[in-house]
Amino acid sequence: MSTGTQVVDHSALKVNQTGIIATVVVAFIGGAVFRPVLVLIPLLAIVLLLGTFAPQLALFKQLYFKVLKPRGIVKPRPVQDRPEPHNFAQGLGGVFLAVASLLLIPVPFLGLALALIVAVLAFVNLAFGYCLGCQIFFQLERRGLLRA
Amino acid sequence: MSAQLWALAVAGAVVLVAACLEAYRSRRARRLALSSGPSGLSGHLPINGEEHAPYILYFTGDSCTVCRTHQEPALARLGDVRVDKVDAVAERALADRFHVYTLPTTVVMGADGRALHVNYGYAPAPKLERQLAEARGTTLRTATA
Repeated sequence: MSTGTQVVDHSALKVNQTGIIATVVVAFIGGAVFRPVLVLIPLLAIVLLLGTFAPQLALFKQLYFKVLKPRGIVKPRPVQDRPEPHNFAQGLGGVFLAVASLLLIPVPFLGLALALIVAVLAFVNLAFGYCLGCQIFFQLERRGLLRA
Repeated sequence: MSAQLWALAVAGAVVLVAACLEAYRSRRARRLALSSGPSGLSGHLPINGEEHAPYILYFTGDSCTVCRTHQEPALARLGDVRVDKVDAVAERALADRFHVYTLPTTVVMGADGRALHVNYGYAPAPKLERQLAEARGTTLRTATA
């Protein structure tokens, strides 16, 4: 099995996950009071998808690297790891949020439910370190369906 | 507001079903793993002089980040306990024997080479310590019987 490990700052991943959870929660609660707040969900989808293909556009990670880390608000946590599974997981989250965004107009509850599931998975990753998107990446890679 | 409530209900149902499926899968795998005897454990059996000491089989792999960030520090906190690190991909037969479906997986082995506790997913140090203490108790009872 190829390893290809590099050093991945897990604090950046945690900030990313926190950003996802916070945005979905704000959209979910805010949307009940003021419906246009739901626009945060398609915006989050765009942020995640852009960040997957162009790391310099990953909003939450940039917030960490440019603001939180230099000011010592969040301490770095470098770990020997592969960045690809985490990027894949982020992209998958982005795709699900894009689908959720499309569903928000015809069936709002389904779009919101899908966004909530993405937030729950981000929470599971943040709290317990279990990354479902990474597991899917490894399974696809093992079956030769995906290359890093 | 009703859209939010329905969304909560749908997401909650999905999470609940996933949690139930996971609980069923881990319970089934644990039952199967604990029902098998010590055969096929060559290289991971008690070493001479350690016959009365339980030990841990630790299944890991290159792709397991939680293993490095959580499980290995927890195992290091156990102190003077033998931990056999097993690459679940390279030693597929052994991993299958314990029905390892997720990484990390830790198996607390009795002194006779029998699996006493199987933990699928991250197992914190206090949990492993408790299981090791139980395993020591089992070993003592067996030795004095």
